[in-house]
Amino acid sequence: MKRTVWAWVLVLALGIAGAQTVGNEPPPDLSPEVFEIAKKLRCPVCRGESAAESNAGVTEEMRRQIAEMLAEGKTEDEIIQYFVDRYTEWILYEPPKRGLGLVVWLAPVIGLGLFGFGLYSYMKVAARREAAADAVGEEDLARLEAELAQDDGSGGQA
Amino acid sequence: MTPGMLGNLGLGMAVLFSVAGLMAAITAWIARDARYVWVARRAALVAFLGTLTAFGALEWALLTDDFSILYTARNHTSASPTWVKFATLWAALEGSILLWAMLQTFYTWLAGRKMRDYWTSPVALGTLFVIQLFFLVNVLFVINPFTPVPNPPADGPGPNPLLQNHWMMAVHPILMYLGFVGLSVPFAYAVAAMVTRRYQTWVAETKWWLIFAWGFLTAAIFAGGWWSYEVLGWGGYWAWDPVENASFIPWLLATAFVHTAMVQERRGLFRSWNFALVTLAFAATVFGTFLTRSGVIESVHAFAGGPVGPIFLGFLLVILAVGFALLGRVSSEVRDVGTVNLWSREGLLLLGALVFVVMAFVVILGTLFPLLVEAFNGAKVSVGAPFFNQLFVPLGYAMLVLMALGPLLPWRKADPETLRVVVWMTIALVLGTGAGLALGWTLWVSLTVGLFLFNLVALAWLIWNPIARRSRALGSVRAGMSAAGWSRRRYGGYLVHLAVALAALAIAFSQSYRLDVQKTLEIGESWQVAGRTITVHALRAVEEPHRYSVIADVEVSGLGTLHPRLNYYRTSRTPFASPAVAYTLGKDYYLVLQAFDQQNSQWVTLRLVVTPLVLWLWVSAILMIIGTAMILWPSGRRAARPSAAGEVTA
Repeated sequence: MKRTVWAWVLVLALGIAGAQTVGNEPPPDLSPEVFEIAKKLRCPVCRGESAAESNAGVTEEMRRQIAEMLAEGKTEDEIIQYFVDRYTEWILYEPPKRGLGLVVWLAPVIGLGLFGFGLYSYMKVAARREAAADAVGEEDLARLEAELAQDDGSGGQA
Repeated sequence: MTPGMLGNLGLGMAVLFSVAGLMAAITAWIARDARYVWVARRAALVAFLGTLTAFGALEWALLTDDFSILYTARNHTSASPTWVKFATLWAALEGSILLWAMLQTFYTWLAGRKMRDYWTSPVALGTLFVIQLFFLVNVLFVINPFTPVPNPPADGPGPNPLLQNHWMMAVHPILMYLGFVGLSVPFAYAVAAMVTRRYQTWVAETKWWLIFAWGFLTAAIFAGGWWSYEVLGWGGYWAWDPVENASFIPWLLATAFVHTAMVQERRGLFRSWNFALVTLAFAATVFGTFLTRSGVIESVHAFAGGPVGPIFLGFLLVILAVGFALLGRVSSEVRDVGTVNLWSREGLLLLGALVFVVMAFVVILGTLFPLLVEAFNGAKVSVGAPFFNQLFVPLGYAMLVLMALGPLLPWRKADPETLRVVVWMTIALVLGTGAGLALGWTLWVSLTVGLFLFNLVALAWLIWNPIARRSRALGSVRAGMSAAGWSRRRYGGYLVHLAVALAALAIAFSQSYRLDVQKTLEIGESWQVAGRTITVHALRAVEEPHRYSVIADVEVSGLGTLHPRLNYYRTSRTPFASPAVAYTLGKDYYLVLQAFDQQNSQWVTLRLVVTPLVLWLWVSAILMIIGTAMILWPSGRRAARPSAAGEVTA
């Protein structure tokens, strides 16, 4: 809980810092690698946008930080870890494959299994009904033939 | 007469005649008398004219800058250009629900024209009346745009600047609502079928409406993607934003239903599942509205909250409750009989529907999971684009395989002739994938190329085979001509499949090989990047009545001069970047003006996004629309049939 509070304080602070760069300093040049890394982080103040896509002040600041850390020679993992340490794992745009995040990764597989099983059992039941209907038909046919044969027989005698 | 009075008059008339129509439908049902159905149909027409009047009244207020009513006072400005004024009607909550209500009454009237019997028609019409009453009562009593304002302002704030940035905003919402509302007709027919226990024929009767709605949903989703590409300035067309997802879910379910409906029509199977699918598809449209109008999520589409959220949630629950209560009875009565061979047309159609249902499940899950976790646990989870993309890759491959094979295989079981085609298709798949890998593309992109060719071979055979067969009898030229006219609907379907395969190719390349880069350039400076030279020639400002724009003139070698701009609106402190795109058949060059020298106009900061094959996504959208129109266009033979049937009953 305390950690999330601090995360939000940081979000606000970064937001203000981001707003300040709007002055007359040109924003930093950003290489494609910066955007590749930013794509894996979420925009902290928007929904449905990664840090590469958003034009919010916070994300501009995040991209600047990524560019600086890349210049310092940090690896992608180290940079992502830097943001995770500050914002918690919530900053990762892709849910982690453990804990609560695992639920959302496993659910589609379970969903596929359930729907697939539903379809399979539907087809099985429908086919069994047809088989049952056919079986009755053959029985009926046999009985009818027998009766017809009797009729023929009796007709022949009459 | 003021716009406010006229609007309320129109809405009142619409509510009154919807109630009258509903009463007439109920009477027709109880008295088993088709004359009351006729009355209900007339009432539907008057209700539509009522909403049309209200729509006209709101346009009147907008176009004459009348700020005496709530909607214009809050969402309009006299500085807007005329087309923005016109489109402001659906730029905010109240107006958009009015538009929805108008389209709903229009569809009730249109669909009602075919309803003549006293058995299923009263139930179907009655259902449509209930749905339109829900929207009308909301517009009239809860979120009335015509509420008088005690002290009319001299001018209003104007609509959301993002919505003023592109003309697509005038088109996309209408397409979306036409699609959403269109799904209410199959739903109403389904309710009628379940109530009257006529479980088989409703699918054939409602197929036209289903594909009609599907076409508009498709067009709306692509239009939204293009708007996002042209306006939002991040160089993408789909972000898995909750609102995009909300429009995608009904599309996925409707797509599943289009395919299972064929299985029911042809083989009488899957009947209770089809009721479930159509209920879910229609419910998903209301769910999307709930998400966007309730303030649960924030986005471009999220209008101010208010009481509509809980009301829409209640409506959603009612639809689901009615649908599934009826379905409970259906599933105990419907006993589908028949063997489904998986390696047959119907087997693959059902598997395809399974893929689409699982896709819808993934989208619902990914959209709701963060909201649910936050509501119950207080924890924050991000489920972003990477999650959806990773799950849609395997599901997309399954779709590409099934959609190529499905139309090839005959009903019930495969014949040896089609198996030979499958061999050729597999060769194309292997060659395409191999060529992709040899060219150094990723495995996923190469596989998509292979599957695209897999589909092309299948479609080529499907088109060529009947022509070849007939040319043996008729001679090649006449055979080709007659085949084109002979099964236009079938070719429409093939065209949609081709377009989907093309879209898959465009998505695979544009998602895998996108280049993002940002650089500050002095005026006059050139920049060598991505095989082009980019030169900034000038930075200038333009003032318009409703906004102030800063425009950079940027030359991209070989592609002419682009004008990325920053637009400043009165209502917003931060500027809105309006990107400029040079479309080419290969790569798109997408420029965003990120920042500029505010003191001396010496430099600009540009963001460049280079994405391959995006253009083909828009081409595929146009092909899908043409294909859908080919399916829907009444042929002479089919158009003649209903009137003949009408004569028999009359």
